[in-house]
Amino acid sequence: MSASPGDRGRDPSARVYAPDFLTELFREPLDPGYADAAARRQEASPSRWRRLLARPVSLVVLVVIGFLFAVAYRETVAEEPSRAKARAGLIAAIKQREAETDRLTERADQLREEVGRQRDAALSGSQASRLRKLEAGTGLGRVRGDGVVVRLADAAGDKDAVTGAGVGPSRVLYSDLQKVANALWAAGAEAIAINGQRLTATTTIRSAGEAILVDYRPVTGPYEVAAIGPGSMRDRFEDSPAADLMRSVGRSNGLSFGVKDAEDLTLPAAPQPRLRYAEPSVSPSPSPSGSGAAGSKSPGPSGSGSSSPSGGGR
Amino acid sequence: MIAVLALLAGVVLGVYLDPTVPAALQPYLPIAVVAALDAVFGGVRAKLDRIFDDKQFVVSFISNVLVAALIVYLGDQLGVGGQLSTGVVVVLGVRIFGNVAAIRRHLFRA
Repeated sequence: MSASPGDRGRDPSARVYAPDFLTELFREPLDPGYADAAARRQEASPSRWRRLLARPVSLVVLVVIGFLFAVAYRETVAEEPSRAKARAGLIAAIKQREAETDRLTERADQLREEVGRQRDAALSGSQASRLRKLEAGTGLGRVRGDGVVVRLADAAGDKDAVTGAGVGPSRVLYSDLQKVANALWAAGAEAIAINGQRLTATTTIRSAGEAILVDYRPVTGPYEVAAIGPGSMRDRFEDSPAADLMRSVGRSNGLSFGVKDAEDLTLPAAPQPRLRYAEPSVSPSPSPSGSGAAGSKSPGPSGSGSSSPSGGGR
Repeated sequence: MIAVLALLAGVVLGVYLDPTVPAALQPYLPIAVVAALDAVFGGVRAKLDRIFDDKQFVVSFISNVLVAALIVYLGDQLGVGGQLSTGVVVVLGVRIFGNVAAIRRHLFRA
């Protein structure tokens, strides 16, 4: 912007520096070309053919501009339904994939049962029953028994998701489910399922946006946490801080929370965990510490005696 | 008057023909519209200032659209397409605003 030192001595009017671009833009928005053209016209009138040609050309340009406006308008209007269509398509795809997952899960369950039957046929009776017990304890096998059902539901009539009120404590949070599940484990539960999703040692209960995911599968309210355990489980759960908290939240926010005894509950098997880093130990007497931590490639401590088969669940 | 009719003819033509814009050109459409608006308001103001020039109008429209499209294209290639189109819209928007203000002063003397 500034003149080099050598220019200082010259006539200052010889060099005119334009003000910076934005200042110029705000001061004189009209293209300076119009003024220049007008000045040129004053000096010499343009040639005859140019005068004849100029008018039609600018009219053609105006037609083009109008065309452009119409096309842009139509394009913008046409964009809207396509966006809604894309959204609907995505929703349909999600629904379809979910149905597919359900179908495949069902098939996997059938196959697993089939494998279990075949294995029972192939193994000796004591080994087979030991395996079944291990499976039941770790959540990989279906279990039956008496226990309790804890029911949690969102407060009614508070579904204003737009203003963010939906995230408030009047809804069941994933942490509520976590606390209830942990309190049930602590109260002696041997198997827990949330809305039919069996909890294992590696099951996660977490939130993704507005939804709660149990083992990466979305569950929706009302939430039923079913647990199989000893008869004392209900009293111990009712005395736990988690139950206290849920009761007080229910009183203050209208969230419903209830515990009831249930007889002959059947909890489904959890899907087979995908182990990426842990490998089954090949030692002849497998250690029942089932919760495979990452990177435990070394074979388990051989000779550590058998312990309670439900150890992996707690 | 003829100019307004030509503009309307273009709109009618666009509505009637209902052309489909190729997907590759779609990002440039809004920028082209803003550039065209700039040229139109500049032309109207020049007309009111009695310095309208057909050649200047045609050249300014074409160069506006081309330069705006080029900037957006370059921005897309460099990964700053959004920011550069914002820049184009701001500059052209300021000019449109200034020219409309001048037209208003011409028409209403206020």
